[in-house]
Amino acid sequence: MAKADPLLRQSAAPVLDVRGLTKAVPGGRVLFSGLDLAVAPGEVVAIMGESGVGKSTLLNLIAGLDSLDGGEIAIAGAGLAALDDDARTLLRRDRIGFVFQAFHILPHLTLCQNIALPLVLAGGARTPSLARAEAMLGKVGLGGRGGDYPAQLSGGELQRIAIARALVHGPALILADEPTGNLDPETAERILALLLAEVKASGAAAVIVTHSDRAAAVADRALVLGRSGLSERAPAGGG
Amino acid sequence: MAAEASAALPPLAARWLVLGEWRAHPARVIIGALAIAVGVALGFAVHLVNRTALDSFARAISTVNGAADLQVHGLTPAGFDEALYPKVARLPGVAGASPVVSLAARHSDAGTPEFNAGNGRQRITLLGLDGLRAASVTPSLIGMPINGPGRASGLDPDAIFLSRAALAATGKKPGDRLSLTAAGHSRSFTIAGVLAGAGEDQALAVIDIADAQWRFGQLGRLQRIDVRLAEGADAARVEQALAAILPHDAEIVTARSEAQRSDSLSRAYRVNLEMLAMVALLTGGFLVFSAQSLSVARRSGQFALLRVLGLRRRALVAQVVAEGAVLGLIGAGVGIALGYGLADLAVTLLGGDLGGGYFPEGTVHLRFPPLAALAFAALGVGVAVLSSLLPARAAARAQPAVALKASGDATDPRRQPRSWPGLALLAAGGLAALGPPLFGLPLLGYAAMALLLAGGVAAMPFLARMLLAPLLRAEWPPAIDLALKRLWGAPGAAAVALCGIVASTSLMVAMAVMVTSFRGSVDDWLVQILPSDIYLHVEGAEAGGLDMAAQARLAATPGVGSVHFVRQMPLRLSPELPAVILSGQPVNAADPGARMPLLGDPVPVPAGETAAYISEPMGWLYGLAPGDHVTLPLASGKQRVFVAGVWRDYARQFGAITLDTADFERLTGDASKTEAAIDVAPGASVSAVTDALRARLPDQLRSQTMFAQPRQMRAMALRIFDRSFAVTYALEAIAIIIGLIGVATTFSAQTLARAREFGMLRHIGVKRRQIMMMLATEGALLGLVGVIAGLGLGLMMAQVLIHVVNPQSFHWTMDTRLPWGLFAGLVAALVSAAAGTAVLAGRKALSADAVRAVRQDW
Amino acid sequence: MRLLALVFLLLLGAAAPASAPYAVVKPGVALRFPADHGAHPQFRTEWWYVTGWLKTAKGEDLGFQVTFFRTRPPIDTANPSAFAPRQILFAHAAISDPATGKLLHAQRIARQGFGLAEAATGDMKIVLDEWRMVRRADGRIATRVQGRSFALDLMLAPTQPVLLQGQAGYSRKGPSPAEASHYYSLPQLRVAGTLVRGGKREAVTGTAWMDREWSSKLLNPAAVGWDWLGLNLDDGGALTLFQVRNAKGGAVWAGGSLRRADGRMTVLGPGDVRFLPGRRWRSARTGATYPVAQVVRVTLDGKPRDIPVTPLFDDQELDSRRGGGPVYWEGAVRVPGGRGYLEMTGYQSALKM
Repeated sequence: MAKADPLLRQSAAPVLDVRGLTKAVPGGRVLFSGLDLAVAPGEVVAIMGESGVGKSTLLNLIAGLDSLDGGEIAIAGAGLAALDDDARTLLRRDRIGFVFQAFHILPHLTLCQNIALPLVLAGGARTPSLARAEAMLGKVGLGGRGGDYPAQLSGGELQRIAIARALVHGPALILADEPTGNLDPETAERILALLLAEVKASGAAAVIVTHSDRAAAVADRALVLGRSGLSERAPAGGG
Repeated sequence: MAAEASAALPPLAARWLVLGEWRAHPARVIIGALAIAVGVALGFAVHLVNRTALDSFARAISTVNGAADLQVHGLTPAGFDEALYPKVARLPGVAGASPVVSLAARHSDAGTPEFNAGNGRQRITLLGLDGLRAASVTPSLIGMPINGPGRASGLDPDAIFLSRAALAATGKKPGDRLSLTAAGHSRSFTIAGVLAGAGEDQALAVIDIADAQWRFGQLGRLQRIDVRLAEGADAARVEQALAAILPHDAEIVTARSEAQRSDSLSRAYRVNLEMLAMVALLTGGFLVFSAQSLSVARRSGQFALLRVLGLRRRALVAQVVAEGAVLGLIGAGVGIALGYGLADLAVTLLGGDLGGGYFPEGTVHLRFPPLAALAFAALGVGVAVLSSLLPARAAARAQPAVALKASGDATDPRRQPRSWPGLALLAAGGLAALGPPLFGLPLLGYAAMALLLAGGVAAMPFLARMLLAPLLRAEWPPAIDLALKRLWGAPGAAAVALCGIVASTSLMVAMAVMVTSFRGSVDDWLVQILPSDIYLHVEGAEAGGLDMAAQARLAATPGVGSVHFVRQMPLRLSPELPAVILSGQPVNAADPGARMPLLGDPVPVPAGETAAYISEPMGWLYGLAPGDHVTLPLASGKQRVFVAGVWRDYARQFGAITLDTADFERLTGDASKTEAAIDVAPGASVSAVTDALRARLPDQLRSQTMFAQPRQMRAMALRIFDRSFAVTYALEAIAIIIGLIGVATTFSAQTLARAREFGMLRHIGVKRRQIMMMLATEGALLGLVGVIAGLGLGLMMAQVLIHVVNPQSFHWTMDTRLPWGLFAGLVAALVSAAAGTAVLAGRKALSADAVRAVRQDW
Repeated sequence: MRLLALVFLLLLGAAAPASAPYAVVKPGVALRFPADHGAHPQFRTEWWYVTGWLKTAKGEDLGFQVTFFRTRPPIDTANPSAFAPRQILFAHAAISDPATGKLLHAQRIARQGFGLAEAATGDMKIVLDEWRMVRRADGRIATRVQGRSFALDLMLAPTQPVLLQGQAGYSRKGPSPAEASHYYSLPQLRVAGTLVRGGKREAVTGTAWMDREWSSKLLNPAAVGWDWLGLNLDDGGALTLFQVRNAKGGAVWAGGSLRRADGRMTVLGPGDVRFLPGRRWRSARTGATYPVAQVVRVTLDGKPRDIPVTPLFDDQELDSRRGGGPVYWEGAVRVPGGRGYLEMTGYQSALKM
């Protein structure tokens, strides 16, 4: 496969290794077939594409939230196909961080509690978990506001919390689905910069689904998902 | 890591999530817990009162019995021949035998008795004892002379010893004179002292046995022999030897058989009350279910997020169930405390039998039973957990990815709700209703009701669609059209809101139909059995009433057209069952149904046989049908009589047998009468005739004879009926209130959850009033659907109550009658309550900024 | 003179005898036998009172007492009920065992009737539940009693003729001639039979004394108690001594009799018998103090003789207060040249009549 070559550019053991992925939606339409993707540690990959082409489905498949019809996905060397729902859940809890378009911050928890949630879900104790959450809060520029509730925050601030939550437990892979889709362009740019900076700082790999050219430009790689699968996007501008 | 292995949510996470949710919606938590609390409280209170009443009843029995090891009882108040006494005393293994004359007495200062069978205050159990024998067999029945030990042993024929309860009932003190009437004889005594060992509950008087026999017409007769067994004697062997010498009109009674009898006396009534209380708990369970369902639906996004962040399915289920459990725990705790208070109140206001009339004598002392409290608390928690389980599983099954994207309820209007689970449950309920009683109780009948209820609720989504479908075809203003479409499109959500209302409505309807049918049938029956103008009843005359001379004198009273004299006496046919009432009255052999409410046609009596007409409960209890024979243990010997017919009777739950006067006198040798039905001659005044009759009564009977007219008797009977169902009404009302609260909370929660939808509608130009209109319509429609379903279900359940539960518990049948007025009121109340709540909640939802509502994610 | 009978009268509420005309004890009424062995139902009270010493096969000395009382309560005789308490029977039995150091006792009570409780007239035949005292054709008396802690089944064989107390069976009990009883005794009865104690049956032999007394009025109003002593002398003689005490401890009345082995009879009057208190024993149980070792000064043939009494053991006290009865002392005693029974009443509190 000629197109496969650029996708396997890195030689280090990939954090995410997708091979021959096939998925059909209910009703029979095949979204993709024989799709391959490898993401190396620390690499940020942007995935673009038109609406309905299956970008979110791809993310869900990677997260183990949807079942695949063929091929294989391995995260940090663990093949998802061999895992049951519980094991996938644990894998998600320990190795993956999420950023959503709609933030999904729990309204009745404080900012710190929201950020600490992945740690607490893994059985972390209260004080160290909250301390790490407080530290993350500082990194996303909201230091000192850990006791506030989400209702007091703007959209951009909510997404900062989401980024902090995605990184707080030191995941190997960050999945972000249109992280700036609900934000005004100015805020979007700042949030994107923050996300990339924090991902880079943490050493995690990231897959970001986005419509934003700017986001694609700052990514290590930008891929386009189309009817025929993933293809490398020509770098736009000076990136 | 421990959390790695366990399925549960780490405790810290659970605390954050649960407490966070509750802080956000405290009212919902409070109402859920309250629903459980009310259910637990009712169940516990009813249980507590029943148990307390039964305890005090048992205590009363053991008080009268003086805790003998074994007793011989007469099968009728006439007792048995005293010649049995030396035989019993000489049996090997018998260390002491104490002969007893036992009579139902009234103290004569009580005034003219009311025509009221439940009036136990004037009643005293009069015991004639041989104090020298009783001292070693039943020492608690030996009086403490007031002048200190050493004085008067009870041989003094003038001395009477009273229990504290009897002193209280008569308002006398030691040293006073007391006049007692029993078995048609009156006699006065000096109160010589107190029965210190007789407890506080039982009105008891003890005199010397010789005087009791002589002065109260019991010469040669005993009603009881108390037996103390020798140390180390084999009780079973003594019983066996005793049985061998027992005459046919006496039986052996042990503490065991006595307890069983007192238990069977009120068992059905108690079980019914407890079941009713459980119904309240069940309704509370539905409320928790709908609250939890809503809460889960509302939090579907939140749960999806948690799943994505790494919360396992089981942990999610565990979290929702734990929420329910905590809710149940709080509710149960409050419920136990509330139940105790409620029981205390009920005992104070209604008496130990909650108005059922089963424990006419004695006072009740409430005690706190820790084990029962624990059991009821566990029941409350169990109901709450079970009610949370279904929503919890629904939450865990949801696809997190889908749930995260979609907001609100993601129902697809094209999907048909399943009908078979509901129908299967309904069918199972129908089958269960056909089952026989278990352990003498209609347990399968109750199971049938529970299954019908569950089936009805499970069928609600399907039913709601079916009921709404015809409305969809018509043209409606946009607000109503929107409401209809939403209800039709999201039947699951509608069903959640409806289950509480359907459950409580159907239970209320079932109870109401049963009670109305019962009351109507009783009323008809009273008209049928009370055809005469005046009724006369000699109170406490089980062992003797109006003799032949008195009868002749009464019959000759001017103004009397005709008199039917009746003799009634209790007769014990089985040691485990309470006595049946044997009555002798004029029966027209050609038309027995003339003065008896016969069910079906009488069977021709074979030549040479004695015709007996049994009551409906008697037939059930003893397995008798027309054409059978029944053997009566009478003073004249065992008498076999032919069952010629069955008559309807609501008065004597444990059976009654009617013989023609001539047969009765021939078989019992007893020509005295205890009551009379009098028709006045044309033109005579009922009150004048009553006065004349009273004047012609023998002096000693005048004070214990009551006169009544059918109207009074009917009014009184229905008053007793209503009193005994008062608790039933109260329990029903509470079930309905719980149901209404459920509707209110569910509606308001659902409405508030749709704030975004309203915001969007406002954006596209729907007027505020139109939204309110839409909500009111939705509410009313939902209420209507609920009431219709509840009515249907309730009518089905009423049939189970009428045709299964009642015959199996109380052994009588009734004809179905429908309380239309109540139905109408119910429909109006529920529909307006549902619409009203929807509007109120809608106002709140609309007050929020519409623009912000659209942008809001949660 | 038997306390229990009086107490028992009291218990039955016989304080108002006015309604029941009782037969009156008169001097000069000759006693006839065997009729007078039987009951005298027209008198108010009557007893068959056996006391004596037993020896077990192991050689233990025990005291024993078997008593049947009959009393006629003052009731309305018109009551036709079979339960009417025309006669009440009461029986009491006790064993004095020095090894236990206190009395074992048992009792029965019932109204006469139904064959369960009967005191026959004509000859001695008393039945009270399973308790019996029956005189056989050969003159021997069989008695059987059964208590929780012991049972006795004894045959009492007379060895001497009937001993008529007082004036040919008319025995004064107080200053008034009406305060008297019909009284005879059967001393020197030879006893053989069985005793059951603690479930163990053993053969016993011994010597006993039977008092038979019936009366309608016994006590002087000034009396608070009495002492009674019946002694079988080793030489075959029989000595009866009693005094009725007033509140000051002085004698209201005293008397007795001595029948020597050869049958010579001496009747003792109030001047012939004086009870002198000797060693006292205080009961921890009741607080009563009893002169358990009295000396009785008997004037016989004009010569006073002191008879010192020694109890088999001190604590032969009976406390029947729990059953509404009195506290008294009744036990086996020794004197030089004889053995018998001593009864002392009115020491804990005055007997209220």
